[in-house]
Amino acid sequence: MNPNRFQLITPNDLDDYRKLAGEIAVASWPEFMLHDPIADENWHELFDRFTEYQFALLDTETKRMAAMANSLPFYWDQPLEDLPEGGWDWVFLKAIENHKNGVKPNIQSVIQINIHPAYQSQGLSTKMVHAMRGIGESKGFKYLVAPVRPNQKSKYPLISIDDYITWKTDDGLPFDAWLRVHVRAGAKIIKPCHQAMTIPGTRAEWEEWTGLKFPQSGTYYIPGALNPMDMDIEKDEGVYVEPNVWLVHEIS
Amino acid sequence: MNKERFQIITPTTRADYRELVRGLTKLSWPEFMLHDQIAGILWHELLDRFAEYQLALYDVENDRVAAMGNSFPLRWENSLTNLPEGGWDWAFMEAVNNHKQGLSPNVHCAIQVVIHPDYRGQGLGTRTLDAVHAVSQFKGFQALIIPVRPSEKSNYPLINIDDYLTWKNEDGLPFDAWLRVHAQIGGKIIKACHESKTIRGTRAEWEQWTKMKFPQSGGYIISGALNPMEMNLEKDEGVYIEPNVWMVHQVGD
Repeated sequence: MNPNRFQLITPNDLDDYRKLAGEIAVASWPEFMLHDPIADENWHELFDRFTEYQFALLDTETKRMAAMANSLPFYWDQPLEDLPEGGWDWVFLKAIENHKNGVKPNIQSVIQINIHPAYQSQGLSTKMVHAMRGIGESKGFKYLVAPVRPNQKSKYPLISIDDYITWKTDDGLPFDAWLRVHVRAGAKIIKPCHQAMTIPGTRAEWEEWTGLKFPQSGTYYIPGALNPMDMDIEKDEGVYVEPNVWLVHEIS
Repeated sequence: MNKERFQIITPTTRADYRELVRGLTKLSWPEFMLHDQIAGILWHELLDRFAEYQLALYDVENDRVAAMGNSFPLRWENSLTNLPEGGWDWAFMEAVNNHKQGLSPNVHCAIQVVIHPDYRGQGLGTRTLDAVHAVSQFKGFQALIIPVRPSEKSNYPLINIDDYLTWKNEDGLPFDAWLRVHAQIGGKIIKACHESKTIRGTRAEWEQWTKMKFPQSGGYIISGALNPMEMNLEKDEGVYIEPNVWMVHQVGD
């Protein structure tokens, strides 16, 4: 493969950057993952407030976007071990609040690293992690943290995240492929964040998102979800709480 | 579809029956389902003892089998509402034991209707069931009982079978597509049989069957399984217990 095939670009380099990046998200996520209210309300803030923290890989041969990533800066002066259970949702809100209040950030958080399905298994995820660290480095941050979605956990929805993150392959690396990409790039696992995303929806919405039916209240296995989803028919509400894993890259 | 296209064949009408149906079961089930111990031990008995109860739908145009129905007779003195929890495994052992002891059977039991993946969605499930039903009639049984595998329950492994079998569509028919096929031709749901099949394997076997890993003891969702599988690492044993649904078709008038 031509080493210069993939070019790092930022939102200002392409007129339809957000549209192309959105297409990767839609292609890679199970539908229900696109309905986190915190993400839906605040996604535009990534481009309005934190443009220089967004980037993508352009395939110069096909002119397609092969991967994209989002991150943001925030302020955290406590031990990294105390990063909150709220994970992804929490850090998104925290960064916006810091920015609104003019608080100077001292740490960077990954929000998403996403490889187009047609470009998976080609080592692009590692390239993306390194590019992400490059941003933190240029900003002079000491740490890059990430509420990582261990995506293979979707095959093990009955195993607790606390157990799952201890699973190792024979070579001592994390069992989960995404955790492994980060650890190979130098990251350390801090701990799980048990409520990294909370996705509520009516019964009808969940039926549309999943193609399943929910005739009774209870716990349901949802393909692509890391834990089961709880449906409450009386309240007409299904709630999925996604656990992620806080990782830290020391960058300087 | 040409009505003459599918012909019912049996081991007695076709000398090459065995060759024609070979591999069909394997094509139709998730790998772990092929490791039920009772089935492994007794499968040959279908042809050895109950050949006249085996049938297949033969695709005349393509010279191959499109669907298969396996059944046998057994003796059941009790009320049909008391059919055992052991479902499929129980029925197979009972039929073989009855036959060995020379007991005269009084009920017909189907244990498998499979449709070749290339022939699904064409109503062949109903046609095969009709053919099995015709065997009941021909043999003079009053009831055809079936421990039915509600195949779509694999999408709902955390819902218990007793609840699942009450789920209905808006037209009042069972939610589950396979239960519905039975209900549409007159089958009645009796009750769940919670231990219809028991499949045991070592950790290594389960890893091979499912392409998953089992680094710790606990419940695991297995693709295609109707309930979670329980893995016990100390015993090096994973156990999957499959729930089915007893259904009864009344035969005759």
